[in-house]
Amino acid sequence: MSQTQTISLGSAAQEGVWGRIRTVASRRTEGRGLALLAVIIIVVALLEPLVFTAYQVTLGRIALVGIVALGLTAVILMGELDLSVASTLAVSGVIMASIPDLTLGIIAALATGLIVGMINAFFVSVVGINSFIATLGMLFALRGLAFVISDEAPVSLTNKDVGIAFGQPLIGPLTPRILIFVLVFIAIQVFVSRVKAGREFFAVGGNRQAARDAGIPVTRRIFTGFMISGFVASLAGVINTLERTTADPTAGSTVLLASFAAAIIGGNYLKGGRGSIVGTLIGAAALGILQVALTLSGVQVPVQQIFIGVILLVAVTTDPNSLRSVAGSLRTLRQGRAKSPGS
Amino acid sequence: MSETAVVEDKQQVAPPEERQAARILKWTSENGIFIFTAVLIVFALIFVDGFSSLINITDVFHRAAPIGIVAVGMTFVVISGNYLDLSVVAQVATAGVILIAVSNSYGIPLAILAALAAASLFALVNGTAVGVFKANAVIVTLSTTFIGLGLLRFFSGGSIFFGPPDGPIRAFGLGKIGPVPYSAVVLIIMTILLSLLLNRTNFGFLVKSFGVNEQATRLGGTNTSLVIIGAFLVTSVAAMVGGFVLAAFSNTAVSNDGVGYEFEALAAIIVGGTSVFGGRGSIYRTFLGVIFVSVLTNILVLFGIGFGYQQVALGVLIVLAVSIDALGRKVSKR
Repeated sequence: MSQTQTISLGSAAQEGVWGRIRTVASRRTEGRGLALLAVIIIVVALLEPLVFTAYQVTLGRIALVGIVALGLTAVILMGELDLSVASTLAVSGVIMASIPDLTLGIIAALATGLIVGMINAFFVSVVGINSFIATLGMLFALRGLAFVISDEAPVSLTNKDVGIAFGQPLIGPLTPRILIFVLVFIAIQVFVSRVKAGREFFAVGGNRQAARDAGIPVTRRIFTGFMISGFVASLAGVINTLERTTADPTAGSTVLLASFAAAIIGGNYLKGGRGSIVGTLIGAAALGILQVALTLSGVQVPVQQIFIGVILLVAVTTDPNSLRSVAGSLRTLRQGRAKSPGS
Repeated sequence: MSETAVVEDKQQVAPPEERQAARILKWTSENGIFIFTAVLIVFALIFVDGFSSLINITDVFHRAAPIGIVAVGMTFVVISGNYLDLSVVAQVATAGVILIAVSNSYGIPLAILAALAAASLFALVNGTAVGVFKANAVIVTLSTTFIGLGLLRFFSGGSIFFGPPDGPIRAFGLGKIGPVPYSAVVLIIMTILLSLLLNRTNFGFLVKSFGVNEQATRLGGTNTSLVIIGAFLVTSVAAMVGGFVLAAFSNTAVSNDGVGYEFEALAAIIVGGTSVFGGRGSIYRTFLGVIFVSVLTNILVLFGIGFGYQQVALGVLIVLAVSIDALGRKVSKR
């Protein structure tokens, strides 16, 4: 027994540095995201270097794309999806703007996000509805609610000065939006990689029955995940409202595409269990830089959407499992052809 | 020994009241739509002023027809266990814009051919990504929605296209038999055709069988990728016809014509009792679901209730209907 162990350890050691790099690389999921980011950075540096000199704009855009995606990643790690983030953003913004007192408004908006997350988690884990459908229903119901609360028109913030102050750089060239984005990133990254409850997300996503048998409170973890994504989405709603000094009930319709694209490009496996917050950050950076570059080169918004749509489509069809299943069906196709003339 | 066996038996079979509950939930999710629709219509006829007027009923038909045509087609994707096709939003708009814009300069037959080509392209991309690459249908169709709408807005410049005021498209859009407009007749024909396709053909059987058990269908020697592409093709063709009908009614087409169609079609399908878990469902029930959703929306409009509340109502309706289905499954599994 001990002998076999020594042998297996020895063979790993023999592979040396290369072997270790390969082991690490096969465990990481950010490969595609890094490749895309590298390509985008090189192309943009050659064609539109303004993107990097005006890094303040670029960072702001990355924060805009990325913040919702960070929350979403917590849910995706468990193999669920939260489509309702787009309208959570809109509804919490509208709620915040309709309450005259700013602090109270922000608290109410963030509470809305938590409640939405709880409702989603209830339907997914207690009732047992597929999360795509449950959160899709929420997506439309909340969009309706945003229209109802706002009376179908944008709501202005009562205290406009706060909003204007919010857009100013706070530390060095960094605006509060970027700082909040960094804080959210650090918080979720630490939670998912260092806190026991967060690490259990991977187990819940990888094999739910095994996680349950191992004594992990699966239902509670699902509640935590959806509440993180709801909270972060409402935080994004608060930030948007502060920056624009108005809350738009139709806000967030393009956020859905961009945030899913960022999370999936970052290598988060949709069936759960594999992925990383760092990957989402890489995906958001790639998309943010691309969007700023396209805008600066004068590309129309519809064409930008085509770019992001194609990137999402390619990202979702080229994860390792998809490629494996394509390879499998190609193999059966070839075998079937080889067999048919013989029989 | 025999005692333990009895005990085990008792543990496996659910207590009678739970079985009863499961049966009620299952029955409600499958057949409730007949009762709900009947009750809703009777309620509307008695209590809602102006519902029974001829103009209003024609209006309900006009609104229901394009949504219904999309819904009966999308039922195939839902039954195959792939949740839904979000990209019908882009497909309806594309079909409408192509019909009006191309027929203005090249005639109607060419316009229909062009729209058919666009629909096939949508189906091919969606179906290949879902069927061959085994990617998640919601994410795939979310991305094709934006690709499709982006292309449409780029090529159409976001402008509104008007048909000729006396052309055959206009005539079709306004024509009716009694209070029933031609568009509703198209919906009924589509319902019958697609129902035959689902229940009487090998393809329909394979779609259902894929929804029940993907692995078993594959092991049975079926090319499951083709079945999925086929299910998306049915949806795309239906979305195209829906787009035609919508464009013909208003004689105009613009790139955001299809907004909200994915949602209302899904509401109709799910309320009709087709299971989002795949494998179970019928086209006729989707048809009833369309009537239910349209009458409900009409009642809300007649009561002067705004767009926001309508959206909330439909969202709650979807979650409620799926909850009944899910709870029924959960209890009967126990």
